[in-house]
Amino acid sequence: MTPEPKEPEAPAGPDAVLRALADPHRREILRLVQDAELPAGQIAANFDLTQQAISQHLTVLKRAGLLAERREGTRRLYSLRSESLQPLRSLLDEFWPDALARLKQSVERAHPRTERRRPT
Amino acid sequence: MITASVRIAAPPEVVFRYFIDPQLLVTWIGERADLDARPGGTFALDFAGTKARGSYVAVEPPHRVVFTWGIPQDAALPPGSSTVEVEFVADGGDTIVSLTHRDLPLDREPSHQEGWERCLAALAAAVRQ
Repeated sequence: MTPEPKEPEAPAGPDAVLRALADPHRREILRLVQDAELPAGQIAANFDLTQQAISQHLTVLKRAGLLAERREGTRRLYSLRSESLQPLRSLLDEFWPDALARLKQSVERAHPRTERRRPT
Repeated sequence: MITASVRIAAPPEVVFRYFIDPQLLVTWIGERADLDARPGGTFALDFAGTKARGSYVAVEPPHRVVFTWGIPQDAALPPGSSTVEVEFVADGGDTIVSLTHRDLPLDREPSHQEGWERCLAALAAAVRQ
């Protein structure tokens, strides 16, 4: 039998990815599985968290497309889907430009000019 | 290093305040800010569950402001580890705002091994809503 890689049904949006990454435990999980495929129990052994909390974190990471899950007998093995992190670099690049765009909006709304220059 | 710039239809004196006044800062970035805008003073910003912490390095109204930027709970990007420099140049009645974010760990070790992980703190910054 061929273990088929599990793909999320729809590509997870950057929001889901970023939300998933916004938690230090989940980042630690990704760090653990970036070079090695690990069963949930072994992942949990690194944390002071309940098994239930760990499996919730795993679910969030899977839904965000960051984690691949493979079944081997009764075990489920997890590994990092590193390709899912690729788009994040561009998001990082967009952080300040986005923020400055909001700054512009905010300033110009608060300080409207009576005579606007024509956009060139 | 990340650079970004924008033209704003207001003079530098107005735009500058958006980087030192907590109430004005949160109109465009984050939800809560605690700012003490003088060299060595606190730069603390909470956004989307993430805390950016640092301190002002230079405050030169209305031309330039520099502050450090880091995320306390992320060992990869601790407070003080990266620096944001913003320059305000008057152009007609407008201001050209140029921002440079230096020393983000991502740039030191691009993409491999820990590269992705190191940028997460800054990435969390991208979670804006």
